[in-house]
Amino acid sequence: MAAGLLGLCSRRLLAVAATRGLPAARVRWESGSSRAVIAPSAVAGKRMPEPTVRWQEDPDPEDENLYEKNPDSHGYDKDPVVDLWNMRVVFFFGFSVVLVLGSTFIAYLPDYRCMGCLREWNGMQEWARREAERLVKYREANGLPIMESNCFDPSKIQLLEDEE
Amino acid sequence: MLKIILPTMMLVPLTWMSKPNMIWINTTTYSLLISLISLTYLNQLSDNSLNFSLTFFTDSLSAPLLVLTTWLLPLMLMASQFHLSKETLTRKKLYITMLILLQLFLIMTFSATELIMFYILFEATLVPTLVIITRWGNQTERLNAGLYFLFYTLVGSLPLLVALLYAQNSLGSLNFLMVQYWTQPLPNSWSNIFMWLACMMAFMVKMPLYGLHLWLPKAHVEAPIAGSMVLAAVLLKLGGYGMMRITTMLNPLTNFMAYPFMMLSLWGMIMTSSICLRQTDLKSLIAYSSVSHMALVIVAILIQSPWSYMGATALMIAHGLTSSMLFCLANSNYERTHSRTMILARGLQTLLPLMAAWWLLAGLTNLALPPTINLIGELFVVMATFSWSNITILLMGVNITITALYSLYMLISTQRGKYTDHIKNIKPSYTRENALMALHLLPLLLLSLNPKVVLGFIY
Repeated sequence: MAAGLLGLCSRRLLAVAATRGLPAARVRWESGSSRAVIAPSAVAGKRMPEPTVRWQEDPDPEDENLYEKNPDSHGYDKDPVVDLWNMRVVFFFGFSVVLVLGSTFIAYLPDYRCMGCLREWNGMQEWARREAERLVKYREANGLPIMESNCFDPSKIQLLEDEE
Repeated sequence: MLKIILPTMMLVPLTWMSKPNMIWINTTTYSLLISLISLTYLNQLSDNSLNFSLTFFTDSLSAPLLVLTTWLLPLMLMASQFHLSKETLTRKKLYITMLILLQLFLIMTFSATELIMFYILFEATLVPTLVIITRWGNQTERLNAGLYFLFYTLVGSLPLLVALLYAQNSLGSLNFLMVQYWTQPLPNSWSNIFMWLACMMAFMVKMPLYGLHLWLPKAHVEAPIAGSMVLAAVLLKLGGYGMMRITTMLNPLTNFMAYPFMMLSLWGMIMTSSICLRQTDLKSLIAYSSVSHMALVIVAILIQSPWSYMGATALMIAHGLTSSMLFCLANSNYERTHSRTMILARGLQTLLPLMAAWWLLAGLTNLALPPTINLIGELFVVMATFSWSNITILLMGVNITITALYSLYMLISTQRGKYTDHIKNIKPSYTRENALMALHLLPLLLLSLNPKVVLGFIY
């Protein structure tokens, strides 16, 4: 009798919960009295059955969403600390060390084509251009002619004596 | 040379003995440092080579390729981190070991003096690549792809072994630096023609030449991201590098022997570009675009003129970076939608605008936008082929147009338009992916400021 009353109370509670829109857990009691049958309330929130069809746009259950546990994820690892350090390592060594220092190194490489080689082999072309500009600037500043028609200084050439 | 070979070898114990949550950090760090050291090889003294020892040398042709190889390893590691996250620890370490071994063999291949050592390492690079494709590829077709890849390359390169042994017998040594001074002009005879074919077919298959290219779309599509990256960026260049080295021994036969291959390449580049316009599979499109670009390189190397060699070298480096970047972009799509079909994931610009910027830049470098080195390479090759034969300009012009067409097609179908309803819930771009794209693109853009580094030994 007490069990029956309790059952009634629970059903009423369930009904109240359902009408209030509160989530109502379906509780099935095992009653001590074998005569009491406590059935789930017909009113308690009828839920639509879970969809059995998987749509393609639903996230694949095997795919882990790195942003779920760690909204600041950088995409490297689940563990936020490892993820953060991985990001730092990539940016430091990848960008700051290799790209910056590396491109500085390459920019300052010497004029590597044939240092001191002949003009036909395009030897030291950039150096030659800079040297020419420097000499022109010097000669113009000092009023000297830019170029002389003599390649070598004529006073320094020693000609052989005429021999018969 | 040991200063990058020994550290690369030591990356293997580093992977196996690191703590489980540190393997990626450690390997990425040290591989970036190795690539920093490899930049010192760009300090080429003259148009001779830097000779490190009897076994290793670098010159202005192999130094940029070495830098590309060492730069690619950290990028491959970053790209693979996500899809390997669910594997067991041993499998992850095995994968990284395969990548490191591949890098090691590639470094030694590009710097080998002795041509037999070059050959052995050239073949050795097949093994880790095959393991990566067949073990970690995603679809069942990967087995077929691995078979095609392995056997095409092996059948092509076995005659090369015979030819090299014959050359060793007749010349006494195959030390490349000496061979280039000892070679006599080859008289025109049937056996010399077969020797020419034997030497070149290995590299033709590797490039690949248009008629022998069937392995490439399969291998590139079925490989996981790191496999695709290394295949497109470096392994194809092995063919170009080998051809440039071996043609010094084969004059003057190349003058007439090259014609069939020139015809195949000139026609093939237009064919493969056109195939790109009809692809539905994104990775397949990028794979065929690789064939098209490499056909240009084959044409350039077979013409053997100074400008074409400069164009070929520039194009190899440029294509390495661009193609690898495109594969990374395709992989970022694949990780979200698990499909390579282009139209399945369209309108991405609205959902992932920063990634759209990388897509745009990658597409632009692919279509050889000035002033990138892609353009410098293509332009030099076009000019050299024009001076070789005036009518090739028509074919080259058509190829450049179709290249632009399919690059834009790829851009528009993945980025523009209204997005499909089923991709609304894709995850935003990770920092890792953005860093990966930047690390691909920045060297490419920096090289447009200083292209003389990649213009090879004729410059």
